[in-house]
Amino acid sequence: MALSYKSSYLMTFFLNLITIVMYFFFGKMNPDMTVFGIQSTYLEFCFLGLSLQMIIGTSLATVCGSIYNEIVSGTWSYLLFQFNFIEYSIGSTLAGVVLSSLSVFAALFLAYLFMGSFYVISIQEVMLVIVLFLLILIAHMSISMIFASFTIYYQKNSGLVPLLYQLTRTFTGIVFPLSLLKGFPMIVSRALPLTYGLEALHSVILTDETNWQLILTNSMILLISSIVIGIFAIFLASKSIAHSKKHNKVDWY
Amino acid sequence: MSTDEVIKVIEKFEHSNFSTSFWMGFKATFFRNIKIIWQYKFALLLGFVNTFAVASLFFYIGNLVPGQTITQDGYIVSSVTYIFAGSMLVDISTRILRKSMNSFTSEMKQGTFETLATQPFGLKKYFVSEITFEVLYSLVFSVIYYIPVLLIFPIFKGGLNLNFVSVLSFLLVIVCVIFFFFSLSLLAANVTILIKRGREISMIIIGVMHLLSGSLFPLSLFPEWLRIIAYISPMTLAVQSFRLCLFGQGTLLNGIVWGSVVMLILMSIIMLILFNLTYKKIYSKIRYKGTMHEY
Repeated sequence: MALSYKSSYLMTFFLNLITIVMYFFFGKMNPDMTVFGIQSTYLEFCFLGLSLQMIIGTSLATVCGSIYNEIVSGTWSYLLFQFNFIEYSIGSTLAGVVLSSLSVFAALFLAYLFMGSFYVISIQEVMLVIVLFLLILIAHMSISMIFASFTIYYQKNSGLVPLLYQLTRTFTGIVFPLSLLKGFPMIVSRALPLTYGLEALHSVILTDETNWQLILTNSMILLISSIVIGIFAIFLASKSIAHSKKHNKVDWY
Repeated sequence: MSTDEVIKVIEKFEHSNFSTSFWMGFKATFFRNIKIIWQYKFALLLGFVNTFAVASLFFYIGNLVPGQTITQDGYIVSSVTYIFAGSMLVDISTRILRKSMNSFTSEMKQGTFETLATQPFGLKKYFVSEITFEVLYSLVFSVIYYIPVLLIFPIFKGGLNLNFVSVLSFLLVIVCVIFFFFSLSLLAANVTILIKRGREISMIIIGVMHLLSGSLFPLSLFPEWLRIIAYISPMTLAVQSFRLCLFGQGTLLNGIVWGSVVMLILMSIIMLILFNLTYKKIYSKIRYKGTMHEY
């Protein structure tokens, strides 16, 4: 009688679609996006961020959440014999992301169904979108690796992932333009990787003339921050694993 | 062991001389949960930031509405205030459901549910005391978290249009919403122990309620068929009457307000009856099938 993990996935997927439908109806109030310098309708604008939302959530939560589950289930010590931390992180993130990527296609299908048109983009722009998508994924996976190292050290779920996910949903320009933000919220926004990724994606897909400088700058920011965060995460994780081994509490929580 | 025997064992526990009173059991559950929460005190601090982020989302979305005003049920209010009020009610009430479901999910995951369910206290009392704790905890902390948020965003400044009777009606609506979510959490927790995946179940219920409640937009934007479906969800009328009391001096004499109160109470009673009818059967079933620890 217990629901399988497949049903669980479908439920999460359905939830993402509900969110998209909610903003579809909000878009019927016709927010004027040209005021914010965006040459598209509200729906075209927010569909991009909303379709990415589930993937971002998955890449943020996977490594940290999976390791916590392994610790609670008592399988973490066994896994440490079989894999190293980086292999485990990349493998588990990819598995989660491949499944949640379906939400992008579902969102595009909804966009077609409700808006009557697809985003019209060239092959070159498709390649750019794929590169940006990968950079966004890697950046969030690196952050998840940092949180995972806290989980390994403290054997507790810190609650930082849901918080960062909520901050990302609010301050990265998913459902409203970044130009609305001023002061401290703007600083928060600029500290989140999705802001740069989404800004570049909006530039590629929603504008007629691609702003190469913006795309290049944002891509470099994503790449460099992923490398720096990734290295820091690996360092922290190795210290945490060494600490839990030394104190003989790998599976203790 | 057959299902009947399992039921006999549960009844023996519930009616044994050693059976604890509800108050004693509630106290035990309360102290146990407080100790667990204290272990995660860092998460309490994160709650402030999380609430700030959620509230900011409502605030900025409200700024996108053309003309920045919304007219509904005879009152005109700023779109920011309108969206903030509706979404805040949905956010706080759904926290109750989420916390309750998460609590049962984690007990099952960690293998402590069986021990708690077989205490000489009674399964029903355990369910009720656990959900009562989660309702109180979520409410108290939601209020604490929203106080600084309302100081940062003075949303309701100048937007409120209240009188004494509308304040009383407003409080009644709030109490009914809490009662509704208490009953819903009780029933949902019961279902969770059978089909597991409490987090996902709560997220689906919350998502559908959020969409149908019209927290982000007036329901007039829905097509006719969806509007009819929306009114099946008690939260739709609850959000509408909540706003009416706050911005349009709505009182119990208004059809929307009393309609929402009646609907919330009626739905709560139905859910309590359903819980009462099913909790023993579900518990016996998972014991019989041996899926108590399965997750």
